[in-house]
Amino acid sequence: MGFFETIRTANHNLFRNKVRTFLTILAIFVGSFTIILNVAINTGVNAFIDEQTTALGGDNFIMLMSKDSEAMMSEQMSASTGPQEFTEKTSTLGTLSDQDLKNLKNIDGIDADSFYSPTPLNGTGYITSSKTDKKYNVSSVMILPPGNFNIPLAAGTLVDQTEDAKRKNQIVLPPEYPQALGYEKDEDIIGQTVTFALKDEFNNTFKKFSAEVVGVEANGIVSSQFGMLLSRNLYDEMYAFATKYYPDDYEAPTYYVMATFDNSRYSEDEIKQIISDAGYSAWTINDMMGVIRTFFDVIMIVFTIFGGIALLAAAIGIVNTLLMSVEERTREIGLDKALGMSSGRIFAEFATEAILLGFWGSIFGVAVAFGISSIVNVAVHAPGAFLEVFPTFELFKFTIGNTLPIILTIMFIAFVAGTAPASKAAHKNPIEALRYE
Amino acid sequence: MNKVIEVKNLVKVYGKRSAAFTALKNVSLDIFEGESVAIIGKSGSGKSTLMHLLALLDRPTSGTIKINGVDSTKLNGRKLNQLRNRSFGFVFQQFFMNPSDTVLENVVLPLKIAGINRKTRRSRAEKAIATVGLRERLKFKANDLSGGQKQRVCIARAIVNDPKIIFADEPTGNLDSATGEKIIKLLFDFNKNKGATLIIVTHDEDLAKLCNRQIRISDGKVIEDTKSKTPQKPSKTTKQSKEK
Repeated sequence: MGFFETIRTANHNLFRNKVRTFLTILAIFVGSFTIILNVAINTGVNAFIDEQTTALGGDNFIMLMSKDSEAMMSEQMSASTGPQEFTEKTSTLGTLSDQDLKNLKNIDGIDADSFYSPTPLNGTGYITSSKTDKKYNVSSVMILPPGNFNIPLAAGTLVDQTEDAKRKNQIVLPPEYPQALGYEKDEDIIGQTVTFALKDEFNNTFKKFSAEVVGVEANGIVSSQFGMLLSRNLYDEMYAFATKYYPDDYEAPTYYVMATFDNSRYSEDEIKQIISDAGYSAWTINDMMGVIRTFFDVIMIVFTIFGGIALLAAAIGIVNTLLMSVEERTREIGLDKALGMSSGRIFAEFATEAILLGFWGSIFGVAVAFGISSIVNVAVHAPGAFLEVFPTFELFKFTIGNTLPIILTIMFIAFVAGTAPASKAAHKNPIEALRYE
Repeated sequence: MNKVIEVKNLVKVYGKRSAAFTALKNVSLDIFEGESVAIIGKSGSGKSTLMHLLALLDRPTSGTIKINGVDSTKLNGRKLNQLRNRSFGFVFQQFFMNPSDTVLENVVLPLKIAGINRKTRRSRAEKAIATVGLRERLKFKANDLSGGQKQRVCIARAIVNDPKIIFADEPTGNLDSATGEKIIKLLFDFNKNKGATLIIVTHDEDLAKLCNRQIRISDGKVIEDTKSKTPQKPSKTTKQSKEK
């Protein structure tokens, strides 16, 4: 009997006891369904983050800070540690001195010209346009950071980075602002003028700044973190106003510096090592994304463990099903052996039955998971649903690469579970088997 | 005449040491091609053990069994399986069929084990089923057949591979006498028409008489071997016993 003959026979034997086989497959289905769904959502989330990161660019972007800052930021992102005792050394974030900046600029591989340390704009302000009476809070405001960023836009272009254009007052708005400011479509606001107003806290008056809208950002988990992107001139004007009551010699502390590094010469890990050796810390764009990834990965691991436990139970189910089957078919096995079937053949048939149980269970799991996911993938992008704003985010993503290994693994687990019953069947003595009542 | 089976000094001991039980004690006999042989004996006489050894379903404790001149005790598992599959046919008292399979599927089994392709084995199985007169029951589930029909399916299964030797273990034991007669006729027909050797294990004297040789076993020894003589023709007056 050939390979296909064995599969055909095993499948035939399997469906002789339909209820038992179905229940066993159901058990495998539960495990495989859970695991496949998890892997699919993990793939979906990572693909989306990748897409966002790749679209964004910034692979030569690096954020430089002191080692204290890094430790503190990591701590803040991981867990709250309760009240910490104050010492002179303690600050919310370690700052970088002029000497530190000089040291950092001297590090080989880092572009000294790209250094840019944004200073937060303090104060009360709003944004409005001639098309509306409403005023809106100014969200985070920044200048396009150095590095090859490619912030996805829904309309228009990025703020021009040339020296000439830096002197103009230009702005790229985050998503949904055009509509709030009275424009129906994102394209409609391009080239129009919006007004910023910053409050003069001493006179209780507002100082207004005009800016031309050159672009609108597209929705995305990464790009929306950039907030309003201002041209240098606009930023400087607003910063000067916000700090006009500060002492003349006031210098805002530098908490971190954004820069670019030569990624044709150094990998991310290499440049981080170099910076670390120099006594500072650095985060690349992947480190920032890594925080999001780690969060999802932990959830996935937990759910995959649940799926694994379900599979373990299913494997015991396979052993049980096949042991019962071997017992029931003792005479049949005896007859097969009397008629010249080899032990190897009998082992192969029962092992194949086990593998088929795994196969059907996992195929069933993939199919149902795929079906449900297809519906959910559409539903989460419906108006008002939680992923409406991320049209490209495929929550559950199925690929050959993520489903096939799972199917094969489950088939392998099924095979392992099937070896004991199969070997029991193979070692039956034909005469005793035929005498069996 | 060719010897198809040569048995020398066959001993079979079950169990070990104090629990040892000698089922066969130094049995020697030759069986010739085309013979019909009845192995007769009471329950526990060793007749079934002898048949199992002759059919190579079990290995003797000592002694040799040559099948067509080949010492079977020296054959490895694969060769042994092949020999049983190609040269032997089996008919059992309890039928041993796969009840949920069809007649065709049951009959095809030895050919399937032999690795014969689907088309060939189907046509051969259909022929064998026609021989036993069950052409109309091809697609019936084995479970839906009467006892006699079941045994006919088993005969079809036994002859489908054109065996040299048919082993029949109490083939009429579960059948009424009229049905039993038909079964016996089928076996003898195959024996005569194809020249296959027929070995019937039975405790039924009437059935034994139909064979051209009777080997009587008692207490693990051959106590009578009539050697070949002219066989009696099966006649309608022959009674088949139903008792076990």
